[in-house]
Amino acid sequence: MDKVGIVGFYQVKLYSDANYGRYEMIFEAVRGAIDSAGLKKKDITTAISCTNDYYDGRTISNCYTVEVGGGYMADESKVEMDGAHAVLYGLMRILSGNHKLSLVWGGSMASCFPYHAARLYETDPTWERPVAYVNDITAAGFQMRAYLEKYGVSIEDIAKIAVKNRKNASRNPLALQEAQNANITVKDVLDSEIYADPVTELMVAQPCDGVAALLLAPEKQALKITDNPVWITGVGYNQETYYLGDRDLTKSMSMELAGKMAFDAAGIKDPKKEIDLAEFFEAYAHEEVIFSEALGLVDMGEGTNLNSEIDGDIPINPSGGAIGGNPPCGTGLIRIIEAAKQLKGEADGYQVKDAKKAIASGQIGMCAQNNIVYILEGGN
Amino acid sequence: MSKLTQRKSMDYIKKQYRETRKMPGSWYLSNYKYKYNITHLQPFLKKLKEKKLVGLKCSGCNTVYYPPRFVCGKCLVKPNRWVDLRETGKVSTFAIAYLKDPETGEIQEKPMVLVHHDGADTASIAQLNPEVDFKDTYIGMPIKAHWAENPVGGLMDVEYYDLMKDDAKDLDLPED
Amino acid sequence: MGRQVAIVSAGFSEHASKRSDVNIAELVSEAVEDCLKKAPSVSFEDIDAFATGNMPGFEGSNLPELWMADWMGARNKPLMRVTTGGTTGGSVGIAGYYTVTAGLPGIDTVLAIAFEQQSQGDTSVGLANVAYGEVSLLNYLGLTYDQVGRLLSAGAAIGVAAYQATNYMHKTKIVEEDLARVVVQNRRNAAKTWWAHLKMPNLTIEQVLDTPYISFPLRYGMVCPASDGACAVLFTTEEKAKNMCDIPVYVNGVASVAHETAILGYSASGSAQIDPSEQLGAMKTSEICYQQAGISFPRKEIDYAEVYSPFPNQELMWVEKLGLFEETTAPEMYKNGVTALNGELPICCSGGVNSTNAIGASALERPAVAALQIMGKASNQVPKTVHTAIGHGWGGSLNLCTMMVMSDEPQRKWR
Repeated sequence: MDKVGIVGFYQVKLYSDANYGRYEMIFEAVRGAIDSAGLKKKDITTAISCTNDYYDGRTISNCYTVEVGGGYMADESKVEMDGAHAVLYGLMRILSGNHKLSLVWGGSMASCFPYHAARLYETDPTWERPVAYVNDITAAGFQMRAYLEKYGVSIEDIAKIAVKNRKNASRNPLALQEAQNANITVKDVLDSEIYADPVTELMVAQPCDGVAALLLAPEKQALKITDNPVWITGVGYNQETYYLGDRDLTKSMSMELAGKMAFDAAGIKDPKKEIDLAEFFEAYAHEEVIFSEALGLVDMGEGTNLNSEIDGDIPINPSGGAIGGNPPCGTGLIRIIEAAKQLKGEADGYQVKDAKKAIASGQIGMCAQNNIVYILEGGN
Repeated sequence: MSKLTQRKSMDYIKKQYRETRKMPGSWYLSNYKYKYNITHLQPFLKKLKEKKLVGLKCSGCNTVYYPPRFVCGKCLVKPNRWVDLRETGKVSTFAIAYLKDPETGEIQEKPMVLVHHDGADTASIAQLNPEVDFKDTYIGMPIKAHWAENPVGGLMDVEYYDLMKDDAKDLDLPED
Repeated sequence: MGRQVAIVSAGFSEHASKRSDVNIAELVSEAVEDCLKKAPSVSFEDIDAFATGNMPGFEGSNLPELWMADWMGARNKPLMRVTTGGTTGGSVGIAGYYTVTAGLPGIDTVLAIAFEQQSQGDTSVGLANVAYGEVSLLNYLGLTYDQVGRLLSAGAAIGVAAYQATNYMHKTKIVEEDLARVVVQNRRNAAKTWWAHLKMPNLTIEQVLDTPYISFPLRYGMVCPASDGACAVLFTTEEKAKNMCDIPVYVNGVASVAHETAILGYSASGSAQIDPSEQLGAMKTSEICYQQAGISFPRKEIDYAEVYSPFPNQELMWVEKLGLFEETTAPEMYKNGVTALNGELPICCSGGVNSTNAIGASALERPAVAALQIMGKASNQVPKTVHTAIGHGWGGSLNLCTMMVMSDEPQRKWR
């Protein structure tokens, strides 16, 4: 796979109930990304958006975003998954040689709808939706319980992940204010409201309002636009079966396969040594552990023992991750942007030292059914 | 079970049960709230109260947007110059909807027109004076805004559009 | 640089207004099975990735790919979901193309699936939801409910198309009979297509004109039905295609250009498309496609066209805007039989969207039928040999457009 450069990006500050109009927020992100690369509207040849009809409350949710999303008279399309999948489509369009600059934006406003109620429409309509016992939160409960039992891990170890991410988020000015807490303790996490035992409120990535955008260009163009692009050298994506009973919930099959594809593309043999940091879309705290095990950053069952602080062995989610704010359809895209910031050395306050190679991931579905992994490398 | 037997057993089931179990997939929007920023509309609504029409002009491409628009899609910038518009315009296109009256059950013909104001580069949806026979509507028909008696600064201040007399004399060349 | 992409097979499910004998997943597996039957050497193990999509609002099911993964054969495979309203199918096809051409490691063969089971959900609610937010804004700004009601009736697809039809008829000076003629041709063609929905072999122009108006100038008899159905297309690389079928169909150009939203505009700000039948987006789309495919004279080089036309006026408009005929001459061509099955440039011999409209799938069925016509496997096969064909899609609020140019020989090697 040829490497593709990230030449510009922008993220709107996350709010739980933003004082923004929908189009205003999209425009700010798109314009910001184009300005950050010093380009003009007419340079954009293809625009990929990422929104979801159910999260937005409108059929054809990209119908009215053509103008504000930079899609006017451009080769426009919409990916209805996570923002990271939209980046994949933008990447494919660059790799095809048909396009020289692709704009990708994604995000939505969770304050407009009850997010977890909209997630209920994703369940099997015949058997699971009518009873509504199985939904994204209870599924996370199943998975966390299964993981704890299998490896004999205590719930405090999972709570520590949430504590770490919320502390990291407090250093990230763009993270959700409600998630920023520098003084949080394990006890706070365990004592918060129980969503579906053992999942407590503070272990869940809170849905919020936010849009992010980034620009991709092929190698030659990227070097013309900026001296210091971040390269995407590998990508992998995969989807496993839906039914929780068919899966081994203690691990993530789709993440493992996606990681294999991405490492193959980027030529990475030993992720433990080569990867300097990871930005995961962890909708629930325990997913971070499962992902790092699936990608081979740590041995199976050892995920909670990894020192993943900003100055640790392999820093995971130095920006606070999805727990630091989870705008539906935008989170995966923000993970890529945060990883790119680290590689460019622009992450003020939460910079990882000597970051050369990073992983960013996105997901959709219950218990992260569909995963996507990116390998990013720093500039010259 | 091999794939073929699986398939065959499916056929067997299908014969017995003509209908598959399905759940009604309805989607209710009452829980949603939509967020819009209408700061860019405030001067326009204020002027409507004074029975004046204004459009927003993009400094990038000089397109005049009526009703005002938050972003010019062509240039991806915020238009920022207000321009006065005339009350006159043309019918740029029209359609007639045939709707059932909920009370009487009669089919009513409801015409809607797309109005292109003189001086603006965009068209907006509106209705004609109910006294005008819609069968006479044609594309390019000259029309004029009809103001409400007491404008309140809302979109209904222009109640409907009156038909202007097509004064062909204006177009005649002066005789030598 | 991108690889040459070929279509090796395409399959359909049976279309009807209510497929109550199957659910969405079974409907999809019908299309997938039909697709793989036409390429006997391909099995599920050979498929490396999936591209899928539908209009979720019409079925009351968000991201159905998640629970349908096993029915598609997508367990432990990469899958990407693309939805863009009416053009969903076309976008899915284009996504399938890009997944192959990008050359990601390990991905050579991609199955694109588009589907819709409208009978499961409430289609009119789904359609109203397109502009629900914009209309509530209009209401907030002082528009009365009476007005809003009219806007809704005129704002949905049929209303938007009615505006377009008025413009087109004004420009070309045609009468309703010319529109009815297009409908008759489509419905008669549909009678010879096994999977089509509205099959009317004996339909006449008088019968069409006898139906009441739904929105002037469109009558009930002219409007597309709402169908349940699915379509699957198999994309692969040039090298692999030669082993999978006799005549691989090479995809030489794809594009999907968006134009400004018509009629309501975003934030209900009106329409910059003063003439909705102008369609700059479609013209740019076709321009990009022809440029990629190296076609300089579309009128001469294209042998077959499938355009997305739920309403007859659109079929006339699209064939002009896509460069197949001169402006305002299309009605004449339909009259002279140029576009008939045995004509010079047959159009929509499957019956088109006018006869079968499973919204999410429709725009993928267009390139699928065009590809089958080139292979010589279409169910209403044109008598002449088809070398180059196009498949087109339309959606959104008149503003989205997709197109795919296919040929029996690869043309992008020189790049």
